[in-house]
Parts: sequence; C-alpha cells; structure tokens
Amino acid sequence: MRTTLGLAICALAGVLTVSSGAFAQSDCSKTVPASPFGKDDQTGATNRVTPAVTKAAAAEIQTGKVTTLTNPLVDGVPLFGTRFTKTVLTAVTLAPGAAIGDNNLTFMEDTWLSQSHVGTHLDGMGHIGRGDCYYNQTAMGKFINQNNMTKLGLEHLKSFATRGVLIDLVRVYQEANKLKTNAACRKPCIDKGTVITPEDLQAGLKMYNVTLREGDAVFLNTGWGDVFAQYPAQNALYNSGEPGLGKAAAKWLIDQKVIAVGADTWAVEVIPGEVQGEAFAVHQMLITDNGIHIIENVRTDLLADEVASGKRATFFLNMSVPKAVGLTGNFVGIEAIQ
Amino acid sequence: MPLRGGDPAPVIGRRSFLGLAAALLAVPAAQSEEARRYKVGFANLTEDPGVRLEGFGFTGADVQTSFTLAARTLPIDMVFFDNDRDRAKTLANAESAVAQRLDAFVEYSDDASANAELAKRLKAAGIPIVAITYPVPGAPLYGPDNQLAGRIAGDALAGFALSHWAGMPQVAVLLGDLANSADHMTERVEGIAAALKEKLPDAPLTRLDSGGNGTQAEALLRRFAAAQTGKKLLIAALDDITALRAKSAVEEAGRANDSAIVSQGCDHTVHGGMSDRKELDPSNRGSILIGSVAYRLDRYGYDVLPLVLKLLSGEPVPPRVATRHVLVSAANVFSVYPPIDMN
Repeated sequence: MRTTLGLAICALAGVLTVSSGAFAQSDCSKTVPASPFGKDDQTGATNRVTPAVTKAAAAEIQTGKVTTLTNPLVDGVPLFGTRFTKTVLTAVTLAPGAAIGDNNLTFMEDTWLSQSHVGTHLDGMGHIGRGDCYYNQTAMGKFINQNNMTKLGLEHLKSFATRGVLIDLVRVYQEANKLKTNAACRKPCIDKGTVITPEDLQAGLKMYNVTLREGDAVFLNTGWGDVFAQYPAQNALYNSGEPGLGKAAAKWLIDQKVIAVGADTWAVEVIPGEVQGEAFAVHQMLITDNGIHIIENVRTDLLADEVASGKRATFFLNMSVPKAVGLTGNFVGIEAIQ
Repeated sequence: MPLRGGDPAPVIGRRSFLGLAAALLAVPAAQSEEARRYKVGFANLTEDPGVRLEGFGFTGADVQTSFTLAARTLPIDMVFFDNDRDRAKTLANAESAVAQRLDAFVEYSDDASANAELAKRLKAAGIPIVAITYPVPGAPLYGPDNQLAGRIAGDALAGFALSHWAGMPQVAVLLGDLANSADHMTERVEGIAAALKEKLPDAPLTRLDSGGNGTQAEALLRRFAAAQTGKKLLIAALDDITALRAKSAVEEAGRANDSAIVSQGCDHTVHGGMSDRKELDPSNRGSILIGSVAYRLDRYGYDVLPLVLKLLSGEPVPPRVATRHVLVSAANVFSVYPPIDMN
C-alpha cells in the first residue's frame, strides 16, 4: 500500500465540516490535560519511540517472518455514509501510438480520491477532541481552515519503529469459556458490544509471558475483523457495533505508556459504549487526553495464527505514516516482523 | 452471557436477603466479591418484531437490547423471557423464574390479572420484582410519566409560538390515536392540552383522531390546514410517524411556513446519526418538527437494572420511578442519542 501511496496523487476530498465559529473559544486547560511532552508538543506518544526503544524492538526480528496487518483498500469495504475511496487510472501512453521515445516508454498513474479515515488507518492527534479542545490543550478553532489543520497534523509524528504486541482476545475468551461469538463470523469472534477489560488484556499478555513496556504498540485480535473480510455482504453488521476496549482497559493501557492501540474493528473501543449518552469516550481518553494513536480496521487474524504457532506475541512494527501536512489521519500499511 | 428463559435451571442457589447476608458473612471478603453476581430475569411485553410498543416505533428488541447492554458493566447475568402479551406465557415465565431460582425479576406485562398472580408466586419464592409501565402488586414501578411527557410537548409548542408568533392568530391541533387509552395516549393528550391551555389560552384546540392510521392523519390535517388560512398551526402529534405525516400534510397544503410540530416518542423514525440522517438532526435546525419527547424505551435497561441492584442490596427504592423525559431537538439530539455511524 505504501508503494501505491507513493505513486498516487492523493486528493483528499473530505472537507472539514466544521466552521471556526462552531464553538466559543474554550479554556482548554480545564477540559484536556497538558501533554507530558511539553507545552508545544504536537507529536503525542511517538515521542516515546527513542533510539533505545527502536534498538530494543529490533531484537524482536528473529526469523525474519513478515506478516501483514493491513486490509485491502478497495471498493466495497465497510464505510459509513458518504465516506468513500475511489481511484482513477491514467493510462494515456498505452493508447496506440502514445508510447514515448525509441525505447517505447509507457507509464501509468492514479488519481486517488479518498477520505483519510478509511480501511486500515491511523487516527492522528487532530482527529478527536472535547468541544474545541484537542490534544495538549489545543483550542482547535484557531487552527483549522477549509483544507486542513494548521496544528497537530500528521507531519509532526515521529517514528513507529517500535515493538508491537498482539493480544489475542479470542483465545483469552475461549480459554475463559466466555466467548460469545456472532453467527456471521466464520471463525470464532467476540460479539459486538462486548466490553474488553483490563483483566482480559492482562490474561492475553500472560498467555505469552509478555510485559508491556513504554513505547510499545498494542494490537488486539477480537475476531470481528472476519466480518470486515466479508465485505460488502456484512458491511452493515460490521458497522453496527463491535467488541472493544472499555474505559478501564483503556486507562490500563494508558498507564503502560503505549504509543498506539490497534484492533480488527472500526473504532477499537466497545460499541455501543459502556455509558449511555457517551460517544467514543475511549477515543477521547487515548487521543485527546494522552496523545496515543488509535489504528482501526487492522487485519490481525494472520498474526494471531503466527503468534499461536510460534508462541511469541511480540514483533518489530513496520509502519510509516505519510508526512501529510495538516491531516487528521491516514491509511497506513502495517507489517509485523518476527 | 444472557440466557433464554427456557434454558436449564442454573446451579447457583437463589439468595434471599437474609441468606445473602449470611453467606457474605460466612466467606472471606475476596471470595464474596467474586461471587456477588446476580441472575436477573426480564420478561418482555412482546418480542414480536412487528409490534410497536406503547404507541411508538420501539419494538421489544429495543427494550431487550437495552438490558443486555446495561448489564455488561453490572454484576448481573440476564435471563430473558417473552410474555408475548399472553397470560399463560406470563405465568409460565414466572414459574420458570422460580424454578431457575433467579435473584430478581423485571416484569413488563400489560395484563393486570397476570401481574397480580405473578406477584404472588414470585413473592412466595422470595424473588423481588421491578415492574415496567404496568403495576405489579408490591413491586416498585418504573415507566413513563405520560402526563408530564405531554406537558413537555405542550410547553415546547407554546414556547415556540410565544417566541416566534406572538400576537398572531394561532390554532392548536392534537393529532394521532387520541382515544387509545391502552397505550396511555389519553394521559399524553391531557398533558399536552393542559400546557397549551395554560400558556396559550386564546389558541383554540382542535382534536384530529387518526385512530393510529398515518394516512388518515395526513388526510385529516391536510384538509384542516388548508381551511385555516391566516392562522399559525401548532401541531402536537402523539407519535413520530404521525409527526412526519403531519409535516407532509402541511407541506402539501402549502402551510409549512405557518406550522410547528412537536412529537412524542423520539424513536428511530425521527433520529438517526452522522450518516443516517433523519428529521431531528443538528444540520436540520430549520425543520418545522421542532422536537420529540423522549420516552427512552431503548434505554430502559440502563434505568431499571440499577433499581434491581438497589432492591437486592436492601436499599430503599421509591414505589414509582419515572422515565427521564426530555424534548429532543436538533440542538441536543446528538447529545441524547450519540451516533455511532462514523467509521
């Protein structure tokens, strides 16, 4: 996907639908905590990926086995409402007589029209706020225009070259004899609405004798991704809810100082949420309050199989994010290297 | 994991209040913390997907799902039953609750005599009950305050008229299944009428009884609206489908600009999400449907299960707990019903 990204002209057509007058300017120090990385920080948790963290993560590469964590981004995958991703191929030199030079050179390019939060994608610091207050007490109304943000964009992120940890919650639930699957899942999955607890996470880590350390990126296998994989037939079901982090589990991950939490679901957190009347509270906890990225629609089943057979749940995370100035998020390609 | 009412009886014994207290004293604290989960039955009015409850667009599935979701973060394992609006099934469910030694039972049945019999049987077995909408002797009752909800609608309609059309000729209209006492329509009508009379004493009130037929409602209002030239129309619809029909009627009659509508129920007919846009939507603040009073049938579980836990812990529970009705409008719909369709 990253190769494709490099070739593509990515025209993000999702227009910010906010207006600068939508919120009165707030005193964000009252609603969002200050960043531990300094008052001017726009980066967030990737500050934790130090050279020492990357070097230690490199030790995870033992067999060289690479497993993708990326779903194909193609027409028909689950999206909501007006979200879309569409490509247009430019192939004029393939027309008769249009090849160039004596060496008969031809070429093709794409125009990629897409919203950024589609497919396997990363939520940046500017994705989620509380009122007009975003990460690091940023009063966002002052920093947006019709095209992008002028603060907290993806260009500020540092490296994701760190250790990845897979927590196979399907196995945790199976071993605890509490797996309530969904009839649409072709493989065991945790049903939508199931609240993942800190104890679930800890059980998954214990299963492979892993202790989280600062700078880790955590990926959750819930099995719900199998519903994504049945696109477009099961898109409505996939979007109707999901298993995911409850607030206590999110708090526990925050306390472990991870840099990102990914899952094979579209929001990582439990939907419907635990508290009626609250919307995507875990998003606010992770991104707005703690600068921790969320990675959605991750393909975790292949890695879960590898982890089960190799008895090792840690890996070197190979993922980069385009330096897309002023964007709130973007699709990413992710690999687990063991 | 919720069970169906017909599942085999669980091994765990029912704890009476005294028995529970004794058990808690007899085991170490950590053990008692782990063991303190309750099996709570919920007998639904009906789970027939074609039946709308209380005159609104909610179904039995909406109510049951609210219990499933609410129980996730409580020390409760749900056991579900379907009363199916049938006396024999209602009593069979009670017997099953006794046989399964449930810790508590939530009863949603509109059969007064079945409720009385059920109360006797569960009381004899020491199973506390919370009743929904329809009384069960000796049990605290949770449910809508239909008069209050009606007043909220009437107040909203009058408030709109006073702030936008003060001094202009106005006529108020009650539209819907006005005579349906089974679904408490008459209480809602009383509440609406009382509020309108209090706030807009000079506005005559016309009652258009559609008998619950949307097409009939639209036809009645279209004719009425066309005849009320020069007057502002304040329309109180008794349910959301009727409200949308009312909107169509005044549009067809060319009277939309002279009309304001308030509805009751706030079901999925009128509110949607970020992608699934409906009439009550933050981007549709100019709608003549200015709001719908929430009855929250799809939130019952969140309100009722805490009452059950209070009962089980011996805390006092008021004999009557009312649904928290609120007027849902374009201004607060995403706050009351946060959308989740944002993948």
